Amino acid sequence: MAAHSESIIREPLITGKDITYAKITNDILRPVENMPGRAWWIGFTIASLGASLWVFAVSWTFWYGIGEWGLNKTVGWAWDITGFVWWVGIGHAGTLISAILLLFRQNWRNSINRSAEAMTIFAVICAATYVVSHMGRPWLAYWPLPLPNQFGSIWVNFNSPLVWDVFAISTYFSVSLVFWYTGLLPDLATIRDRATGIRRKIYSVCSFGWTGSVKTWQRFETVCLILAGISTPLVLSVHTIVSMDFATSLEPGWHTTIFPPYFVAGAIFSGFAMVQTLLLVTRKVLGLENYITMFHIEAMNKIILLTGSIVGVAYLTEFFIAYYSGGEYEQYTFLNRFIGPYWWAGCMMYGCNVLMTQLMWFKKIRTNIPISWVLSIVVNIGMWFERFVIIVTSLHRDFVPSSWAMFYPTWVDMSVFIGSLGVFFTLFLLFIRVFPSIAMAEVKLILKSSSEQAKKKLLQHGGLDQEQVEFYKEALVPFDSVEIADYEKL
Amino acid sequence: MDSNKKYWKGLEELNKTPEFVEKNKHEFAEPIPIEEVLTGGGLGGKTPRRDFLKALGFGVGAVTLAACQKVPVHKSIPYLIKPEEVTPGVANYYASTFEGHAILVKTREGRPIKIEGNPHDLLSKGGLSGQAQASVLDLYDVNRLKNSMRDGGDYGWGQTDGFIKSELAAIKAGGKKIRIVSSTITSPSTLAVIADFITQFPTTKHVAYDAVSYTGIIQANQNSFNKAVLPHYYFDKADVIVSFGADFLGTWISPAEFIRQYVQNRNNKSLQNKKMSRHIQFETGMSVTGTNADVRIPIKPSEEGLALVALYNAISGTTLPGTKPLKNNIADKAIAIVAKELVAAKGKALVVAGSNDVATQVLVNAINSQLGSYGTTIDLDNPSLQYSGNDAGLVEFVNEMKRGEVDAVFFLNANPVYDYYNSKDVTDGLKKVRLKVSFSDHADETASACNIIAPNHYYLESWGDDNAIEGYYTILQPTINPVYDTRQAEHSLLIWSENPVKDYYTYVRKNWDANLLAKGGLSGQSGWETLLQTGFVKAAENPKGTYTFGRDLNAVAQTILDHSDLLADGKVELQLYQTVAMRDGKKANNPWLQELPDPVSKVTWDNFAAVSPTDMKNWGYEDGDVVKIDGNNYSITLPVLSQPGQTQGTISVAVGYGRTLAGPVGDNVGKNAFPFHSLRNGTFQTTATVSLTKTGDNSPLSQTQTHHSIEGRNSIIKEATFTEYLKNPAARTGKGKDHKDYNENNLFWQDYDHPQYNWVMAIDLNACTGCGACVVACSAENNVPVVGKAEVGRRREMHWIRIDRYYSFDDNGQGGVTKEKEIARLEDLDHVRVVYQPMLCQHCDHAPCETVCPVLATVHSSEGLNHMAYNRCVGTRYCANNCPYKVRRFNWFNYWNDARFENYLQNDHTLLVLNPDVVTRFRGVMEKCSMCIQRIQAGKLKAKIEKRAVRDGDIKVACQQTCPANAIVFGNANDPNSEVSKALASERTYYVLEELGVQPGIGYQVKIRNISETEA
Repeated sequence: MAAHSESIIREPLITGKDITYAKITNDILRPVENMPGRAWWIGFTIASLGASLWVFAVSWTFWYGIGEWGLNKTVGWAWDITGFVWWVGIGHAGTLISAILLLFRQNWRNSINRSAEAMTIFAVICAATYVVSHMGRPWLAYWPLPLPNQFGSIWVNFNSPLVWDVFAISTYFSVSLVFWYTGLLPDLATIRDRATGIRRKIYSVCSFGWTGSVKTWQRFETVCLILAGISTPLVLSVHTIVSMDFATSLEPGWHTTIFPPYFVAGAIFSGFAMVQTLLLVTRKVLGLENYITMFHIEAMNKIILLTGSIVGVAYLTEFFIAYYSGGEYEQYTFLNRFIGPYWWAGCMMYGCNVLMTQLMWFKKIRTNIPISWVLSIVVNIGMWFERFVIIVTSLHRDFVPSSWAMFYPTWVDMSVFIGSLGVFFTLFLLFIRVFPSIAMAEVKLILKSSSEQAKKKLLQHGGLDQEQVEFYKEALVPFDSVEIADYEKL
Repeated sequence: MDSNKKYWKGLEELNKTPEFVEKNKHEFAEPIPIEEVLTGGGLGGKTPRRDFLKALGFGVGAVTLAACQKVPVHKSIPYLIKPEEVTPGVANYYASTFEGHAILVKTREGRPIKIEGNPHDLLSKGGLSGQAQASVLDLYDVNRLKNSMRDGGDYGWGQTDGFIKSELAAIKAGGKKIRIVSSTITSPSTLAVIADFITQFPTTKHVAYDAVSYTGIIQANQNSFNKAVLPHYYFDKADVIVSFGADFLGTWISPAEFIRQYVQNRNNKSLQNKKMSRHIQFETGMSVTGTNADVRIPIKPSEEGLALVALYNAISGTTLPGTKPLKNNIADKAIAIVAKELVAAKGKALVVAGSNDVATQVLVNAINSQLGSYGTTIDLDNPSLQYSGNDAGLVEFVNEMKRGEVDAVFFLNANPVYDYYNSKDVTDGLKKVRLKVSFSDHADETASACNIIAPNHYYLESWGDDNAIEGYYTILQPTINPVYDTRQAEHSLLIWSENPVKDYYTYVRKNWDANLLAKGGLSGQSGWETLLQTGFVKAAENPKGTYTFGRDLNAVAQTILDHSDLLADGKVELQLYQTVAMRDGKKANNPWLQELPDPVSKVTWDNFAAVSPTDMKNWGYEDGDVVKIDGNNYSITLPVLSQPGQTQGTISVAVGYGRTLAGPVGDNVGKNAFPFHSLRNGTFQTTATVSLTKTGDNSPLSQTQTHHSIEGRNSIIKEATFTEYLKNPAARTGKGKDHKDYNENNLFWQDYDHPQYNWVMAIDLNACTGCGACVVACSAENNVPVVGKAEVGRRREMHWIRIDRYYSFDDNGQGGVTKEKEIARLEDLDHVRVVYQPMLCQHCDHAPCETVCPVLATVHSSEGLNHMAYNRCVGTRYCANNCPYKVRRFNWFNYWNDARFENYLQNDHTLLVLNPDVVTRFRGVMEKCSMCIQRIQAGKLKAKIEKRAVRDGDIKVACQQTCPANAIVFGNANDPNSEVSKALASERTYYVLEELGVQPGIGYQVKIRNISETEA
């Protein structure tokens, strides 16, 4: 799929000197084939402590009941569904990167799709745990599935958005998993080929007998394309349906037609932010700066800027419609976000998501790694507050003022949320130890065309438009993995 | 043609070869090597097939046996000989009496499970208070004493009787005093027993006192008219009612009866006749009555006397000596207007005062006399007997004890150690008494200070009678065998006084045969049986006399003015009051009552100091700040609550809290405010001056409602003035030309058919007084769990019906400031209007909860009801979120067996109070009002058995049934002649949040206030 020659004005997707196929394999498989370093162990210890906290808090909830959370007669959902929507949203970048960017032939996705997809799967797992644990009777969590049963003529309610949700999330999870795993096959075969003993056996089973024949590659690419086609509508549908949990209700602040596109944009927004958060650390710790370059970072920042601005427009639209509709309750709900008791949550939401991301208009900020990392976290804090504001701030003061109430989280609420972060990072840290965190095969595809050394060759070969060359050199300045001095001689 | 054909299997058989003959001898043609196997190496081999089979067989058998662990078997044994009157599954109703009201006790399989009003009850016509509804729970209170006790240890009844008889004999010989101390006894038979006891022991005196006393009124009537009685008031005959601090709709004398009377001039029927009474309330703290008043003027306790003097002057046209102008300008102006209105309504006017001060009540008598109220709105000839206690009598008794003159004392339904203003005097005095006996069924504060506790039966286990109003006699009959080894107090007194009648039933029977049956035109066995069925007799009324006040008022006025000066000493004035739920605190151990939100403050499980919002700001208090209240040589610490309508410079504190030996539910809930009482001119005064100091602590109160204004949302609450109503009965309902039909363009929703029944409800906001009886009735009927103070504080009370209470503030007489932000800018927060709205599941025809449930746990019925299938619910709480009325309740915990909720539900004995027709709910499921579906089903079944359609009024839901105001009407909307159809046809009907298109099934009638536009 890789283009055979590429214009010099495009920035390199792989930097570094003397990059060979072998070096790519060696670089990327270093964490898989060696004992982990101290950084990994520290991270893993913290993450698994978090995961244990999650197990404890969720078991506590199961044992005593949902009353252990801070919910009440007025606020029936709070941190649980906030967490659910937040995690589902985070899970959106993976499919977008693997499916839509694949269809659009965005080769830069090749370096980040593996981690993004893994992250998607882990995020959806975290979301799914919320779906089960927020139920009053979680041991009956299978009842919303349309299973044939002997309870009599009992069926599910296909009118209920929660049933749509069950379908949406389970489809999304299974398709993402299949797509991710299919992509892994050639890389697993590579590990198998280099491994010995029991590891070889395990990877051999996992790689489904990959032979690397032309026919295999051809089928592999076809399957990937087909799966991309299947996944593409899911990128839009999943969060559309999640948003319908709110949009189809009567609740002022929920009952808005703008929710589907607004939620999808928000999901991609938060998903890319999470990819950014993870990859900026991963590339440093695992020494993958040559494969995840400044170009990738900036490209993701641009997407964050775009989706953040879409979300901002959606916010404005909501306010306008609340004003324009003349709906008494809706107007109050939106005013309440600023002047009500949860004004600080509203400020976090609008501040983090809209105001902070507008900084990304500046290239200096887009290409500054520490600032990008901080902003990516700010975005996810903002997106958590967005869901909190939509859910809690709408519910706590709806139609009948006698029932207005405040929501105060308990230690269990907080532990389940912090714990779910632990689960997520535990899974992610295990992932980078057993699977290549970058799709080796796909990166190798673009080595000959889009790498820095290929571009250098072009430069050395000469005969290029001088203006374009200058442009290229200038673009390389922010790259932290490029020796800009090398280009003085050229 | 028989056949001789022979069939042969082969030539061998035909030919019978020797080989064949030999082989044919054996069963199997080929020999089976059994012997070989058994003797040879077959068995000796390693794990032969048979061994394996044996092992397998044994293994399976052993595992099967091991799995057959015996599960506990609870044998249920049916009646071998069925009691004639008990049919399992069918309720029996017994006529009885509660605090003078005729009631019906619903029993199932021999146990009382619900108290219902007797529809023929003269006082409240079937309405009952929350206290009456809750009383059934106390029967199952496991903390009741289980046998008689002496000095804290068990003591058999035989021993007890022996001991007391010998003591009494000795005391009689010694000639010292014997006292029977009780709260007011309205039972003629009990009074007769006491009289007999006095005959036997002539040094005995019966001292009756009431924790919350009405001595002031009784004394005043003695002074004014020579009749020491508590009058019977007729609020239904009054067009203008002026109350000075009398909470007659909440706690004053006979509230359930007064609610019924009061509402008769304000309900739908009255409005349709273009008639509405006018009610002006002058009071200190916000009472239920004040919230219902058309005009409410906050006054300090020290201004009450001055205001009455001013009113008297204005009505009589004279000026009493010493009259001082009221400093309170608004009250002063109001008095002038009120006087005119009262005079205009002469003969149909009524002035009442809550004060227990004799002088104040004498002045009220004078005013009523001027207004011609005697014989019309006040009846002194058929008086109320509900309270006859005498404060001076109790004080004298305590002094007698202190002087060591008393040798024996019997406490019957009296707890002076808790509710006497100087309880140390009582405990000190009791130490000098030789024989101290309490009939209390709890080891309460007084009983614990006694030698002997001879626990009384609970009223549901007792025989007896009641006489609340002169001429109205109700019968008390037991509905269950005594649960514990208790004995009726009267029975004990009969035994101890060696009465020839040994058994109280016979005594009651004789008393009725001799004295009472005849009053109702009954006699003999048949008369008695009729009485047991109807529950009461009514004697002919005494002719109502008119009384004219003729005494000199100068001294009275002087006393009142002196008292005012005393109170107005610059400190904070304290007003003591009773809450609707807890009253005088005798029922503090009842969790239903503790969790019943106070109608006004919505506080549960606590008392508090009510402070006006202005004072809160001036004094720097926040809600829940704990302050030390110091006055009358007593001090307590209580959290403060901002109470709109509370007069500035005053606080109100409820009595009835701070019990220390009420039982695990009632102990240490709130603080005891009784000691703030003081004795003045022979009566206990409910006012005092106190000083407040902040302690720095904050103790949050558990309120069921924390936002108090309606935020201008007039599709939830609609109210109009009487003037507007007269011009247009549909005023402010939003009906008319501009009224949009929200169901017109209904694209998405299928309409449900209600072929036979369409159960709906009508609630008249103008009738509802907010008393909360419906909340308790609903809890009792539907097994609603109690969750306790902490959970209520987390906004998780489970009540299926709640009463929303909204304040609106007057802005320079413009009225109607309801928005939080605007209220914050107001300076005058004293003039507040209140509206109550009972809120329960609206049973929407297009219910938003139904569409969102993923598992179809909440669905619509063909009778217009919104059902909840608990067993199907998985607990996503989506339905509750999507309910615009927020009436769904989630079982956050397993209230039935979670050890952290140690309440009545977890006790095998108390569980017997549950209604067997209503399932209890497990944790994790949603619940809500079912419109008493079990009652609907029962009504339909009864009609079916009788081969007829359900008649209107056959089915009454629990909230409707107990409502003393008849504010709730339930019925079939398909029947155009049903009460509910007629009520909903009222012009005032509107539907809450109608514009959402959910088609609620409950119609509300606009609240009407009898005020003119300009009036503040």
